[in-house]
Amino acid sequence: MEKDPLRGNATISMSYPASYQAVDDQVANGEQFRTVSVSSDDDMIDITTTGTVTERSIHQDEVSAWHFMAIKYSGHSGGGVTIQGMQGESDEIPGIGQYDDFHTIDWQRDIARDRMRHRYIIKKKQDSIWDLIKGAHDAWSGWVCVLLVGVSTGVVAGVIDIGASWMSDLKYGICPQAFWLNREQCCWSSNETTFDNGNCSQWWTWPEVFNQSREGVGPYIISYLFYIVWALIFAALAASLVRMFAPYACGSGIPEIKTILSGFIIRGYLGKWTLIIKSVGIMLAVSAGLSLGKEGPMVHIACCIGNIFSYLFPKYGRNEAKKREILSAAAAAGVSVAFGAPIGGVLFSLEEVSYYFPLKTLWRSFFCALVAAFILRSINPFGNEHSVLFYVEYNKPWIFFELVPFIGLGIIGGIIATLFIKANLYWCRYRKTSKLGQYPVTEVLVVAVVTAVIAYPNPYTRMNTSQLIYLLFNQCGISNSDNLCDYNRNFTNVNSAIEIAAAGPGVIKAVWLLVLALIFKLVATIFTFGFKAPCGLFIPSLCLGAIMGRIVGIGVEQLAYHYPHIWVFSGECSTGDDCITPGLYAMVGAAAVLGGVTRMTVSLVVIMFELTGGVRYIVPLMAAAMASKWVGDALGRQGVYDAHIELNGYPFLDSKEEFAHTSLAADVMQPKRNETLSVLTQDSMTVEDVENILKETEHNGFPVVVSRESQYLVGFVLRRDLNLAIANARRTMDGICGQSLVLFTNTSPLQTSGPPPLKLKKILDMAPITITDQTPMETVVDMFRKLGLRQTLVTHNGRLLGVITKKDVLRHVKQMDNEDPNSIQFN
Amino acid sequence: MKFAYILVLVFVCEVQAQSYEDVRCKCVCPNPSVVNVTQSNRKLYIDNVPPNKCTCDNVILPQVGDEIKGKEQEFCPRCECKYESRNTSIIKYVVIIVIWIISLLVIYMLFLICLDPLLNKRMKGNYQEHTNEEEEASGSSSTGAAAGTSSHPMGVRANVLNRVGHQQDKWKRQVREQRRNIYDRHTMLN
Repeated sequence: MEKDPLRGNATISMSYPASYQAVDDQVANGEQFRTVSVSSDDDMIDITTTGTVTERSIHQDEVSAWHFMAIKYSGHSGGGVTIQGMQGESDEIPGIGQYDDFHTIDWQRDIARDRMRHRYIIKKKQDSIWDLIKGAHDAWSGWVCVLLVGVSTGVVAGVIDIGASWMSDLKYGICPQAFWLNREQCCWSSNETTFDNGNCSQWWTWPEVFNQSREGVGPYIISYLFYIVWALIFAALAASLVRMFAPYACGSGIPEIKTILSGFIIRGYLGKWTLIIKSVGIMLAVSAGLSLGKEGPMVHIACCIGNIFSYLFPKYGRNEAKKREILSAAAAAGVSVAFGAPIGGVLFSLEEVSYYFPLKTLWRSFFCALVAAFILRSINPFGNEHSVLFYVEYNKPWIFFELVPFIGLGIIGGIIATLFIKANLYWCRYRKTSKLGQYPVTEVLVVAVVTAVIAYPNPYTRMNTSQLIYLLFNQCGISNSDNLCDYNRNFTNVNSAIEIAAAGPGVIKAVWLLVLALIFKLVATIFTFGFKAPCGLFIPSLCLGAIMGRIVGIGVEQLAYHYPHIWVFSGECSTGDDCITPGLYAMVGAAAVLGGVTRMTVSLVVIMFELTGGVRYIVPLMAAAMASKWVGDALGRQGVYDAHIELNGYPFLDSKEEFAHTSLAADVMQPKRNETLSVLTQDSMTVEDVENILKETEHNGFPVVVSRESQYLVGFVLRRDLNLAIANARRTMDGICGQSLVLFTNTSPLQTSGPPPLKLKKILDMAPITITDQTPMETVVDMFRKLGLRQTLVTHNGRLLGVITKKDVLRHVKQMDNEDPNSIQFN
Repeated sequence: MKFAYILVLVFVCEVQAQSYEDVRCKCVCPNPSVVNVTQSNRKLYIDNVPPNKCTCDNVILPQVGDEIKGKEQEFCPRCECKYESRNTSIIKYVVIIVIWIISLLVIYMLFLICLDPLLNKRMKGNYQEHTNEEEEASGSSSTGAAAGTSSHPMGVRANVLNRVGHQQDKWKRQVREQRRNIYDRHTMLN
């Protein structure tokens, strides 16, 4: 199959230059130096009429022939028609194929480069054993890379889990015999562990360290002070380490990962220092008792690991589009270790963060997530045989009527989530524009101190957020002695299940404390998310939802206890069994709020049911997630990540939104009327001319045309490549000076005198995507989304008219939505 | 908590001797007196037994057998036994590594804040030269290392130090750029 197109191309490319040259000479003999500004349709029509019919038809044939070849990406044989010239020649120009900071990548071009490279390796395979080994290495390098990424992600997650749980408990006391153990581990084999706060004699609280008693007013004050001081120290360390070593480590990272995966370059965002500082910083931030979680940063950490390992394999390290396949897999591994949910991680990568997700990436993500979860599970950081603290196991059935409160939870969850997003965005915008943004470290410290001062008196906010979620998810069994389980039930009647019972005073008290905790957590998270330390959003949103769900669950349970014979309970509660599980409501509520905040649906439900280990609750979770998404979408358009992308003005073209306007490509393209398009000609410009154009303009790429008069398109060349190639030529080739001709063709013109020409055919993209000026923008936006274009060239009657870049598209979308188009900042 | 009092059980078993075991069987039961009286006090029993022996029959009854004599079948269904394991040596090494990393980072940060400006001030003369070399290197976009070797014909050690310093400067420049993006211009990560 492959051989035939190759041969076909070779013939075309051999017959091609002669006729091409002839045409070109005709044009060149005419008016060589008259510049024609192509600014409006009228002008274009004039130009079209000047050309003879034969000339045009020849050109069109050739253009289509070129397209044919370029699309096959196979024509390096004979004629040397390559897009990138991967066959060892391109190595002489370092940096070709890379991108500058804050630029958008060209997926098509990178994927084409990879295909060329692949084909080259396949072809070389037959030559020698060594090449065969190289080919085999190339084939499995993707799997090896994701294996390494998975293993390292698991290890790093284990370190973070253990470190964070140890440091969190440092706020309360220390284990003098083995200082590396946290409270639970310290009291691991002690029979005297109390039920109220898990203390035992091996664990010394801070008052005890200072020879005080454990209870009383004085010790309480000492504990309080130590809690605040530790929180302050941890927060200060986190914020200053981030500021000093890796400012990119702040925040959750998911909006940026989304943008990067959609094809954007942020140099250093996934680097070594970011990895180290984010890992350390998130441990410190969680231990400081701030209202944040480590799950979102885990995705960022995993992506850093993916990026670092991809440099071991040139196939991925040197090709930005291919690298994003590894990053997608790494994101899946990140969620997999964050929630102990491998399948949920894969779906999260697919639904939420990834942009380009072929099946191959799906399998690799699956493998990567599996390896990471396995490694973390064998490290067993929490001593509960699971990779998350709040793993619970349920097997109680639910009644059909309960769907109504579940959907109600979804609605409330959507409202809370919208409230959170709106308030958080308002606060972030305020921080961005006001003087507050000048004091990033101070802000973190103030938030930490205020959080600690308010959180300590309430036992539900004092404890670690993950532990609170675990408590709320749990069923009230015999081993649970919290206020929440203070029902007036006795455990004497051993042969029946735990029966439903009236709420005792402890439950009432707990509900009030939980209401306060809900308000506090909501407010604290609004001020926390977005400050300049690592912070994730999953745990606080899960916590908000769990509190809300538990309260509703207790309400429904008491309803069932007091009125067991109402038809809605369909007799299930009349036997005295515990027919309502408040813990399940907590879980559904958690899913609802998280769904409303992030607008995830499928991956969220899968993550939640992997957390509970039961497929029985899929329907309640689905109902709540759906209701919450509907309510969220109705009240506010975007999820929190999209809102933050918009706030920062990242060039992210959302593939979920539709473009519903009737504009045409001609309305969007650059240059606008009365401006000229800067183009290069294929064989009539000197190095000096090209350098002048590079100096005078700021475009990131230039179309190459046959000549300024005809404006027939030859290809597209990137500014960066052009700069590099000229610099390289001046350094390495003799005789290249300002007067040298720059040739984008194969053959040099018959030239006897003057300096040697500079051949830049290698860096020319011969297959730029082109559209006509009458193409509806709907199609153009679709092309940008689905093909991952960086720019497209607009033609009219086969002649070049203008360029549409991704930024133009994004600005146009903004403009059409009546928003400020200048908020898109990057290229 | 009013009902969660703990009855200290005096075992003469290995649990007490080796304080930090890696496995445990943790059982939570009502107070043995519940079989007689209506109350919901709880008690915790922890023992180090193989996983298949982690049941009420094997852990609880030997200890409290005489208190609930004849009512074992009523008492045991009320107990929750869970077998758990952990790895203390992993925890130990991880925590120590974490402490090391944090201390190193803090020391390096203090060094950069306090000493580095002083050192830089002293080496101002050298510094000038350094920047020139860098400009030259970036201007011609050469590999940089080649330029370094040619302009500094010193010993290998100096060369290595130089390269480290070069890398460090490059990294510092990048961090400065990141800081400008985030803290001053607020173009990213708001």
